[in-house]
Amino acid sequence: MSVSSWLSRLFRFGVVLAACAGFTGCMTVKSYVDPTLPVISKTELPKVQQPQPVTVLFEFKTKGNNNARATNELSGRVVEDVTQSGMFGQLSTTVTDPNGALLRITIDNVADQKDAVAKGVGTGLTFGLAGSLVTDNYICTATYTMQGKSYETSVHHALLSTIGNHSPPQGLTPLTPKEAVNQIVDQLVWHALTQLDGEYAFRVGSL
Amino acid sequence: MRPVARCFALALAMLALTACVSPPAARYQPAIDNTNILLRQGIRLGVGKFSAAVGVSNHSLAVRGSQLTGGSDGTFSTYLHDALVTELQTSGRYDTSSQLLLSGVLTRNELSSGIGTGTAAVGAEFSLTRNNEVCFKKTLLAEHKWDSSFIGAVAIPAAFSNYPTTVQKLLGELFADPDFIAAVGASTGSPGS
Repeated sequence: MSVSSWLSRLFRFGVVLAACAGFTGCMTVKSYVDPTLPVISKTELPKVQQPQPVTVLFEFKTKGNNNARATNELSGRVVEDVTQSGMFGQLSTTVTDPNGALLRITIDNVADQKDAVAKGVGTGLTFGLAGSLVTDNYICTATYTMQGKSYETSVHHALLSTIGNHSPPQGLTPLTPKEAVNQIVDQLVWHALTQLDGEYAFRVGSL
Repeated sequence: MRPVARCFALALAMLALTACVSPPAARYQPAIDNTNILLRQGIRLGVGKFSAAVGVSNHSLAVRGSQLTGGSDGTFSTYLHDALVTELQTSGRYDTSSQLLLSGVLTRNELSSGIGTGTAAVGAEFSLTRNNEVCFKKTLLAEHKWDSSFIGAVAIPAAFSNYPTTVQKLLGELFADPDFIAAVGASTGSPGS
């Protein structure tokens, strides 16, 4: 093989490598928080007269199956949200008193992954030119148990993601996926606690 | 065309190779369902040794060229041991000075991510001793399925994520087993459940 032929091939490989690296820039993912659920701030949360100590158990699921990796990543955020609500006394993540209050929180990501993958493939094959919009739905179920009485509530929320060359949902601010997920988790937990308080769940044991 | 084909193959290979990873199994998280079961039982247990039967994959599980590795010491038997401790601690049922000691042998450990469906199977022979005398011995198996993509970058993390779920199921089988409940002499119906 001549030097010029070898250099020509090296150049072609370089072009392919550069193209591979460059195409990833076209596949930008932008996340948006669905505006359907009203935003509730920490200061708008109801005040509990006598906050009780509570054990918080959290589980993240993907289409009904427990997702240990996501649970690991989000459990700190969920516990912090419960703490920040100011609606409870001492918080624990392990049961120290079997007769004490228990707050069980599950968040289930019920996205249609097959649909998301199909859209992703279309976007991928066109290197982002045919962009797509994917919706991840989240259902938060919170159950509060105290002195044998249980109260349960659920809240729905959604994450919208644009991949590649797709116009943003009207009126929404783009966020990184992490920022959007954090906002969604905060809102799910605070709405669930507000709804449980509306059922007078946190008055059990304080009367 | 041949150089173009080679370039395309190289690009494909580069994309495919990004999926070849060997992470450890995700830190075990207790299942709320398991905590609920344990809270209904007034039991307190210690956890003994766990090992793997001959021929059982105890160090790594292959998924489409990637490897899932075991727990804190690199083995899946230790992962199962640690998972059991985590479940008992979370429900306030772990007691290192208990007369009841639970040990086990990993008898099956499989993980695969086929196109369409991913599957995992984890089995163990559990032995419970009370004051060093065996009062329960049983082999249990948990099988688990999930939707699996044909795209490796989606299917491999999904498989890795579903391994701990299978372990949760196995421990759920144990905690709810009528013979196990009888052996530990659990009193059911505790508040908080």
